[in-house]
Amino acid sequence: MENAVTHEDWKVCFSELAPGLVLFARQWVRSAADAEDVVQEAFVRFWRRNLSIKNRALLYAAVRSAALDLIRRDNRRARREVEVFADAERTVQPQFEQLDDSQRELVAALDRLPRDQREVLVMKIWNELTFAEIGEALGISQSTAASRYRYGLENLKKTLRPNDQADAAASASIL
Amino acid sequence: MNNFSELEGELKKLRPARVSAELVSRIERALADAGQAADNIILTESRPSGSDFRISWLGLGLGLAAAATFLILARVDSRPGDKTKQTTLASAAPTLEQKAAALPNYQPTGLTQVVYGRHDEGLVFPRGATGPSRRVWTAKRETLRWRDRETGAQLSVSYPAEEVTLIPVSGQ
Repeated sequence: MENAVTHEDWKVCFSELAPGLVLFARQWVRSAADAEDVVQEAFVRFWRRNLSIKNRALLYAAVRSAALDLIRRDNRRARREVEVFADAERTVQPQFEQLDDSQRELVAALDRLPRDQREVLVMKIWNELTFAEIGEALGISQSTAASRYRYGLENLKKTLRPNDQADAAASASIL
Repeated sequence: MNNFSELEGELKKLRPARVSAELVSRIERALADAGQAADNIILTESRPSGSDFRISWLGLGLGLAAAATFLILARVDSRPGDKTKQTTLASAAPTLEQKAAALPNYQPTGLTQVVYGRHDEGLVFPRGATGPSRRVWTAKRETLRWRDRETGAQLSVSYPAEEVTLIPVSGQ
């Protein structure tokens, strides 16, 4: 299978996809450096196999797989080094640019979502994948991907606007 | 229009952090390295173009190239044989001898390994190696059994283990 674009075009493709891909990788790893390592490994592996860049589901699946590999390696390393680095603090670097207070609150709420809902939101909102592509990348059905997206948004709304929920409940009880 | 359009709009306003400029150059280097390594091991179809080759030689050359390509692919795809040297990169499990040393009164009586996951991660080019290797990740459950020489008591330990193995492949 030949790639749809030539090898000279990879920079163009990558520059369009990179921020979203790194954000997607950040759902598993804590630091931006680790996320970039993951994206590098996945993209190089993907490109070397001459897979079509149009197959975005496969690209995101490759990133996810590379991230899980890194976690596996990290877990092994952590077990070995647990005594030495028990007190070490992990730095959490920002995932988004220039946030105001309300946006910081939104990102904090996003971070508190269950991982399966958060990854679908990240793929849909900032990577613009379709539910079919998300389902293919995550190995779930299209309807499950859509459900997770909806639950994720519902949970975000509950966290951010608890008064809305209370008002809705009060209205329902009056009716 | 759905109930979440406002929230979706707020989320879309968030811009993912920019990637470092270094990342692109790192990928460029990695792709270039990969290309060079591939050039070293993958022989392309040889096309004699010199004027001293006649048509009959051209046919013979192509035939030989096809045969050589077949042999190369056969070797690359073959499973490791007795002559293949395997290198274990990482293993989460200590050796049976190491475990036995911690229990002086117990004698090891058995080791069972059940492989429940095996994934071929493809060709890799280890640093310092002369050729490519195939990296294979294996997940297994190991069960070790000991027996106390004096009392006959038996001890059994079972745990999951992972192993990454490099299997050299040759195109010659």
